[in-house]
Amino acid sequence: MKFARRWFAFDKRKAELDAELDSHLRMAIADRVARGESETEARAAAQRELGNVPLSKDVTREAWGWLFLERLGQDLRYALRQMRRSPGFAATVIGTLALGIGAAAAMFTVVDHVLLQPVRWRDPSRLVLIEENDGKSTEGSQVPWLDLQQWIQQSQSFQEIAFSSGLGGRNYLEGQTASMEINGESVSSNLFETLGVQPHIGRGFIPDTPTYATGRNTGLIVLSDAVWHEAFGADKNILGHTVKINNQSYTVAGIMPPGFRFPANATNLSPQVWVANQLGDRDKGRDWNSEHYSVIARLRPGVRLSSATAEMSTIQKRVSTQYTDPDERQLNSHTLVERYGDTLVKDDIRKALLALLAAAGVLWLIAAVNVTNLLLARGTARQREIAMRGALGASRWRVVQQMMVEGLVLSAAAAVLGAGLAFGSVRLLAREINRHLPLPAPATPDTWILLALLGLTVVSALMSTAWPALIAVRAPIEAALKQGGLQSGTGRSHHRMRGALVSIEVAMSLTLLVACGLLLRTIYSLSHVPLGYRTDHIVVANLDIPSFRFAGRNMTQQLYAPLLDRAQHLPGVQSAGLMSVVPLGGTFTIHFQMQMNGYAIVAFLKAVSPEVQHVFGFKMAAGRYFNDRDVATSQPVVVVNQAFARLYSPDKHNPSAIIGTQLVNLRPKAPTHIIGLLEDTHQAGVANPSMPEVEIAIPQITPEATFYPVLEGIAMDLAVRTDRPTSEILPELREILRQASPELAHAPITTMDQIVEDSYGSQRLAAHLLEIFGFSALLLCVAGLYGLLAYVVTQRTREMGVRIALGAGRANLLWLVLRQAGVMLLIGVAAGSALAFASARLINGFLYGVKAHDGWTLALAAVLLFSSGMLAAYLPARRASRVNPMEALRSE
Amino acid sequence: MKTRKDADYQNRIELLQGTLDMLILQTLQWGQQHGYAISQALRLRSGDVLQVETGSLYPALHRMERHKWIAAEWRMTEQNQRARFYRITPEGRKQLARDRSKWVAMAAAISSILET
Repeated sequence: MKFARRWFAFDKRKAELDAELDSHLRMAIADRVARGESETEARAAAQRELGNVPLSKDVTREAWGWLFLERLGQDLRYALRQMRRSPGFAATVIGTLALGIGAAAAMFTVVDHVLLQPVRWRDPSRLVLIEENDGKSTEGSQVPWLDLQQWIQQSQSFQEIAFSSGLGGRNYLEGQTASMEINGESVSSNLFETLGVQPHIGRGFIPDTPTYATGRNTGLIVLSDAVWHEAFGADKNILGHTVKINNQSYTVAGIMPPGFRFPANATNLSPQVWVANQLGDRDKGRDWNSEHYSVIARLRPGVRLSSATAEMSTIQKRVSTQYTDPDERQLNSHTLVERYGDTLVKDDIRKALLALLAAAGVLWLIAAVNVTNLLLARGTARQREIAMRGALGASRWRVVQQMMVEGLVLSAAAAVLGAGLAFGSVRLLAREINRHLPLPAPATPDTWILLALLGLTVVSALMSTAWPALIAVRAPIEAALKQGGLQSGTGRSHHRMRGALVSIEVAMSLTLLVACGLLLRTIYSLSHVPLGYRTDHIVVANLDIPSFRFAGRNMTQQLYAPLLDRAQHLPGVQSAGLMSVVPLGGTFTIHFQMQMNGYAIVAFLKAVSPEVQHVFGFKMAAGRYFNDRDVATSQPVVVVNQAFARLYSPDKHNPSAIIGTQLVNLRPKAPTHIIGLLEDTHQAGVANPSMPEVEIAIPQITPEATFYPVLEGIAMDLAVRTDRPTSEILPELREILRQASPELAHAPITTMDQIVEDSYGSQRLAAHLLEIFGFSALLLCVAGLYGLLAYVVTQRTREMGVRIALGAGRANLLWLVLRQAGVMLLIGVAAGSALAFASARLINGFLYGVKAHDGWTLALAAVLLFSSGMLAAYLPARRASRVNPMEALRSE
Repeated sequence: MKTRKDADYQNRIELLQGTLDMLILQTLQWGQQHGYAISQALRLRSGDVLQVETGSLYPALHRMERHKWIAAEWRMTEQNQRARFYRITPEGRKQLARDRSKWVAMAAAISSILET
């Protein structure tokens, strides 16, 4: 209201100023008339004396300090009027900029959520993850309570040390409104305090340092907002109620705020719950059977990461002496202290995201350059209008200011549209993003993203309008007014500059296209890596094993054997097998460490049923695979792969010598021998080398077996070879899964071909995005070139007419325009090649089977760009060659 | 060219700013006056040497009004013409005294340079 009143007062003063100047004029005229001049003479003289009245008014009002707002209002109205008057032009500019801003904003949204602010807890830079390792490896392992306890007692660097471990297996929660699979974590009572996040309902756990083992929190559970909504219909009276997980009861002590996830990068995207950890029998030792925890700690204010690392390494030196086994002592002799945020995203993903952000930035630059070119053309067309405004008393700065406001309005409209595009596409790609990135990237704006959008808007406006505005006002007014119309001369240098802009666009587009081409070739190479087994006609069901249902029973006999039997008897099924994880599945891995022949062995461990060989056709390098005579009562055997044999074979030159060697005791007092050598397959990714692997036959895994709970109780893939289409066999497959256990009915089912495709991971995501960016860049570039040439031809219509009249051939004119386009394209391609060459380093890490400086890709991209550019140039060139000399000359 | 003239305007305002304020305040010492009369008075008293342009005069008047050195009201002239009359305030008199002593000091300094 105050503003309105002041604005009203401002209007009144404006009227007063008009009246004041008017009275001045009257008095001046009256004076002159009194001195004997005629009325008309006096008026003319007085007006001349008064000078530039609008400017005087402007300057006077400036003294009031209010003019700025008034002008802004004027400029905004003017800009909107301009947009209404030429909607086509406005739409082109807004669309182009929206594409650029949208791409940049979308990538920034992902980068912000995944890299910049992966967690939004209090002061996350002070949170560190502490692990044990051997001092050489870059990876660490989780920590048993006995070690952790000493850290808590002895360290000074940390304000709080919290720990957690997954509940393990599959967990199902029975709620009021639904029963659902959840991702459970057993956490120390000070975890939420350490993270700096408190439940938004209830008080959570009662911190009970220093042992975390007193009974005050026994049986308490904190639910995530998602579980609270889905399983309890957001019931506000939930606190103190009992919930059941796998038939075990807990009392609800709190609800965490929406969006809170811990661990933040859990691969299992099921909704989370946290139960209070209770120390137990498994916390009394340091062997493989002990509970191992992830340790997250908050540094004291002012303590640096390096000094915390130094302190921990001193402590760990003492702690590790308490390991009795010398190898275990070595494996846990050091600690690894890393910022929690840094541990969430792997290096290759970080690089991929930054490279994609750079690519989106380039697309945005191309869009801005394109708009600059459009505005330059428009500036020439508006020369007369601008000259007129100058003649009517507008100062130069005033005109520049007004054109900038116009640019801002256009770019703000583009930013709104671009933000819509960005959030829309992030939402659309959410599935893809979740599959390839460790953290969810919700399409929700935050302060950073809004700031980035604002920055993009302002910089776009400045970049694209400043130059055209300066050129427009620098043009002499009289010349523009006298000549009028479109034919008024624009300087040669002006044309050359616009050509240079097109060349810049071409160069940047080429860089994007080359990057896109390299990644497409990478995908091609990846898909042609020999896998060593068949992937066609295989349907894979990824089962989360509800082990709680089989507590005290033998899953080998009561779950897996009947399931396999039913699957093999489905119509159209040739064979069916079980495998704890199919090759490239990436859903579940078991690392195991042990002693053999004096080596410390590290390998992947897999449980398989003998039938998987029929499904996949794995090849043997030596020995045999499992068969139906390998049962619980027979001699325990294992199969290893070539990578394993290369490292651990007793005879370095003969990997097959490993056959017959004794490995781990599968069951207590049951020596286990290696009976077969498998050819290598890629476990983690097609581009990654094979890792040592040990396979155990499921029929031999009994509840007494050492690895039984891990190998059979967590996850299992059912692979089925069938000629029938997936969609047809799906309902039958689901039915037998439901018969095995009701929870399995909703297991994700896919094909082996799809799994291989998905395993390309970051490359595939990058390739998809670069396809979009590259194509958009090509489009913008071609549009920019077409726009410039079409404009030049229109401007030179008369010249063309004269040339024809003087006898120039039509082919000559065609050639004239095409040559101009060719020069711009060639310069752009040359500069772009250099740029692509220089930027190759950025994407080197993602390439497979193709070099970053691949000449063929560059050549192909250049040819594509050049030929589409020439095609775009052909239309205006043909128009130029068909100019009718009579019409062209008459139109003047 | 028009644009050149714009630039001249701006220049002159800057050149005259302090001095013009002082001259206007001095003129208003003899009683309240409207803009036109002020410009005529300055011209006559300077023997036609100083031509104050509207583009300088009114911005200066409004600026000084904002500084509360002068106050304005609408009245009728002797010729029955409605006009905005400016009157010097006590604050304005202080400002005039300051400007005047500064000017005298500067004029003395400049002439002593020129006479040597």
